[in-house]
Amino acid sequence: MNPFVEPITVSHYMVVGAIMFVAGAVCMATKRNALGVLMGIELVLNGANVNFIAFGSEYLRPAADGMGLDGQLVALFVIVLAAAEAAVALAITLNFYNNHSTVDVDRADELKG
Amino acid sequence: MDPINWSSVFFWLFSTVACVFAVGVVLSNNIVRMAFYLILSLGATAGLFFLAGADFVGAMQLMIYVGGTLVLLIFGVMLTAKGPFITMKTSAGEWLLAAVVGGSLLAVLIAAATSVGAWQQPHERPNTAQVTATPLGMALLGARVDKLEESDATQRRGMSGYLLPFEIVSVHLLVVLIGSAYLARPKRRVSGPSETPAPTVSAPDR
Amino acid sequence: MDPITTLPKLLGIAWLLPLASFVLILFFGRRMGKAGSKAGYLATAAILSSCAISLFALFFVWLPNYELPGPVEHDESGHHETAAAHTGDAAEHGDHEGEAHEENGSGDHGENADVAEKPSDEADAAAANGGHEHGGEEHAAADSSAGQHGGAHHAEPSVRPITGDWYALGEFGSLRITIGYYIDSLTVLMFSMVTFIATCIHFYAYGYMHDELHDVDDHEVRMSDGSHLRRPGRFYRFFQYLSLFCFSMLGIVIAGNIAMVFVFWELVGICSYFLIGFYIERKSASNAANKAFIVNRVGDFGMIIGLMILFGTLGTFAFGDIDGKPGIFSQVRPEPSHQLIVPDGMIKAAAFEEIESGVEPTAEKIEAWRADTSPGTPGHWAYWLMIIAGLGIFCGCVGKSAQFPLHVWLPDAMEGPTPVSALVHSATMVAAGVYLVGRFFPVFVPEVLLVIAIIGCVTLFIAATIAITATDIKRVLAYSTVSQLGYMMLALGVGGWVAGMFHLITHAFFKSLLFMCSGSVIHAVHTNEMTEMGGLRKKMPWTAYTMLVGCLAIMGAGIPFTIGLSGHYSKDSILAQALSFRASNPMYGWLFIVAAGGAAITAFYMFRLWFMTFAGPPRNQERYDHAHESPRVMYVPLVVLAVFAVGVGWSTNTFYVDSLLGNFGVQPLLEQARPAGTLDTAHGVLMPNLVHPDEHESHFPAFHFPAELVAVATALTGLLLAAVFYGWRVLDPAEVRAQFRPIYDFLIHKWYFDELYDLIFVRPVLFIANRVAEFDKIVIDGLIHGVAMWTRVVALIDDLFDRYLIDGLVNAFSRWVFATAIWFRGAETGRLRQYVMFIVIGTVALFVLVTFYLNSTMAG
Repeated sequence: MNPFVEPITVSHYMVVGAIMFVAGAVCMATKRNALGVLMGIELVLNGANVNFIAFGSEYLRPAADGMGLDGQLVALFVIVLAAAEAAVALAITLNFYNNHSTVDVDRADELKG
Repeated sequence: MDPINWSSVFFWLFSTVACVFAVGVVLSNNIVRMAFYLILSLGATAGLFFLAGADFVGAMQLMIYVGGTLVLLIFGVMLTAKGPFITMKTSAGEWLLAAVVGGSLLAVLIAAATSVGAWQQPHERPNTAQVTATPLGMALLGARVDKLEESDATQRRGMSGYLLPFEIVSVHLLVVLIGSAYLARPKRRVSGPSETPAPTVSAPDR
Repeated sequence: MDPITTLPKLLGIAWLLPLASFVLILFFGRRMGKAGSKAGYLATAAILSSCAISLFALFFVWLPNYELPGPVEHDESGHHETAAAHTGDAAEHGDHEGEAHEENGSGDHGENADVAEKPSDEADAAAANGGHEHGGEEHAAADSSAGQHGGAHHAEPSVRPITGDWYALGEFGSLRITIGYYIDSLTVLMFSMVTFIATCIHFYAYGYMHDELHDVDDHEVRMSDGSHLRRPGRFYRFFQYLSLFCFSMLGIVIAGNIAMVFVFWELVGICSYFLIGFYIERKSASNAANKAFIVNRVGDFGMIIGLMILFGTLGTFAFGDIDGKPGIFSQVRPEPSHQLIVPDGMIKAAAFEEIESGVEPTAEKIEAWRADTSPGTPGHWAYWLMIIAGLGIFCGCVGKSAQFPLHVWLPDAMEGPTPVSALVHSATMVAAGVYLVGRFFPVFVPEVLLVIAIIGCVTLFIAATIAITATDIKRVLAYSTVSQLGYMMLALGVGGWVAGMFHLITHAFFKSLLFMCSGSVIHAVHTNEMTEMGGLRKKMPWTAYTMLVGCLAIMGAGIPFTIGLSGHYSKDSILAQALSFRASNPMYGWLFIVAAGGAAITAFYMFRLWFMTFAGPPRNQERYDHAHESPRVMYVPLVVLAVFAVGVGWSTNTFYVDSLLGNFGVQPLLEQARPAGTLDTAHGVLMPNLVHPDEHESHFPAFHFPAELVAVATALTGLLLAAVFYGWRVLDPAEVRAQFRPIYDFLIHKWYFDELYDLIFVRPVLFIANRVAEFDKIVIDGLIHGVAMWTRVVALIDDLFDRYLIDGLVNAFSRWVFATAIWFRGAETGRLRQYVMFIVIGTVALFVLVTFYLNSTMAG
């Protein structure tokens, strides 16, 4: 069965989103660099966005079942919020770097119990 | 032999790029490379958005993520890029744990993605390509032009659009703008001949 | 002016003015000038206004509206045999026709009642009845233009009392508590007398209490360090109490019901308590105050019993009829005859067994019950109820008026300041008891009156004998008061209503005069002991001669059948009444003899007092040298009172000017106030021989002449004896004393009454109290201590239980929570990446769990 002939379904998109999501999560869990953790977050958000777009797409599902524009709007908000989050996170990172002269998140353990 | 479904071809192309470089981000130890892989992965995701008919969101993905956020990240990389931090190793045990946990999560997600039959039904795509920028803009301003002809009452819900979330997000962005500018501003150190262990003035940094 | 509306208002104001003064001084007394000196002005002004209002009420409201009854004159020619016949008749009735009496009421009564009912037939009735009434009638018809017919004044009251309620305090079923009034000429007269004497005493006290204006050194109180007590002056407080005292006494006088009388009765008691204990720091004063109060309680207990019987059986407290509701008096003496009968209420109460067994208490049935007084019948018990009620009321009067056996408080009450003694002994407290007996006179049956007479007689004798040996000037006067009160009671008890009340009025004047004179003396020489005095006549003439007037007045000095001092008239009428009673009841003749002897003793001790104080050489030169006449504010009241002591007994009749000026005087006023129906001859029911003769009979020359002669003779005898011993000093009293040593000891110890009461009451009570105290201390306290100990032990165990078990459990739990928290704390590593792992693991675990759950439920 030829994958290039078969039409694409929501499941395909979801699998892609899942892979990106898991990659982002693993990235957050393994990177010691604060920036790497940030990148992981971006990946996770993107994986989620893929799902939103897939469910909102008229090309993949009947309009009656889909989210329509709602999916796209949520995705849009996620993008905007991700940008804001990135800006704040970067600012925090820079501050952390200024104070500790490092970006190792393992060193940021002042709040441990 | 069936004719090649070009949209499927592009889907596979973009999805492969997105997934491969996403995994690349995970596996790479060099922060600069990670940033680069991320650009590629997100760019490919934008392509997936286009394929799904979300042209405006795809465009935004490119502009905000690839053009804005990632540039911001790369600035961060450059500002903090000292030798030891570019490649920071993680212990093998953690890798193993992360792999196991991540694998199980992936398994769960994929199982969920493939468990619903309706999601695997292909859909006859309409011939006309719709431009979504205008309906999106109107929806953000509070009018759902895409639902005007909708006769089903359940489907017509949400006619009020997204004006309030839009407002909130706007204010939120403003706050974030000010806040991050405040957080990231350069430190003013007390300088002078009588330098005693003077405290730093800016309290919020600590 | 219409007296029915005016008098209650006027007398109400006169009554309330002292209260206003009391309240003002109570709240602002301390700020009224230095040591409250202005309080004296205020109180004096209040009582003076009261006096003015009372006199106004008497002279300008009462007298113009009510014609006084004509004087009782007697046909010189016919009275002897009439009186003799009458007494003989009564005695015969008593001896032989007792049964008939009980059935008809009494023979004489029946005739008199007929006269009352048929005034048009008065000539026939008078002719049938005998000469004495006839004479009275003729005189009344000739002298009095009021148109009263002589026959009527036996049965009909000449003036109906003004009764009513000012204010109803509350109504609880049949119990109606009101502030009411009962105004007759006695009320008005008492108001005038009380306020007038109180005014004099207020003025006098302003001088006498002058020491209280600044800090006082009380030389009779020694502190524990041997120094004298020094305390701030209490001038204003003295006048505050005086005002309250006057208010209370006036309240008794005007009261329209017994409940109100009782309230003010107790108020008088508490006022006397305050005033007797004015020098509260002195042990003797506080003891005397307590004694007065407690002894009075004994009497009041009897009074409450009397009140309860009256209210329980008659259903009302009111004296007179109010709004058509019959009061006590009209129930006891119903219209029209005003004969004393046992009221229906008491009959019903006594016949409760019959009524419970179903006998309907109809009017006829009640009449039948009333008529039958043989022992054991309802009528008999009802009569006993009357007796007990009367004795109960009298019991209160015994306490208040210091009659035997409750007379012991009065001499001790001399501990109060002298103005208080004057007030207590003349116008207020002791007068209250006599006044109440007079008020309740219509309710007393002859048997009760006999008890009153005997008590009075015993009292007058005991007190007079004690007074002979007393050397404390105020105590002599105190015993003299007790003795004179005994005279009043005797007079009331032998049926002399006017005589008793007359003596109350006259005695008030000369006794207040005597007390204030003695106060003046004490003020001058600073001692009460007559053995320290002597010859003061030259130093303080005003006091000496006013006191001489007082002594003459109390002695009853006068020229027989011509003129005399006030005491002359009142004592004469008492003796005449006693003589008249003796004629009717020969077995009680000793009452007269004792009274006559008492008159001699009175004269003796009064002049002994006067001679010892004012005559002869001074016994204590130092005190004599320091003596001085009192200030004018003190002796002017003495002079005023002396004038009244001389003249208060006079009436226009005395000077034979009544044909010009109308009949005016205290006696006619009292005659007017006589309770309806009390004039007639009364017979005892339980003691059929007991006869209370018509009071007017005592005016017959058969009784009046000998009585007057006896009175003057005994008085002169006493005076001569006193002069022999103390004036001319022919005989040495010390020798006599030595000769009659046992009698002297007996008298100087006041008949050992205090010792007797100490033995009978005080010691047993103390003994029992001590036993009870021991019981308290040993048993009750022991019990309580035991319980407390036991409680402590239980508490200790409880404490241990708390500390080790409860606290242990709580502590263990908290320790466990703490340990768990410490253990959990390990999870919070602060490592960001670990948290991410947790999130992911959590998500997966949740998913797996939900999946399993869904699968299991779907499968299930």
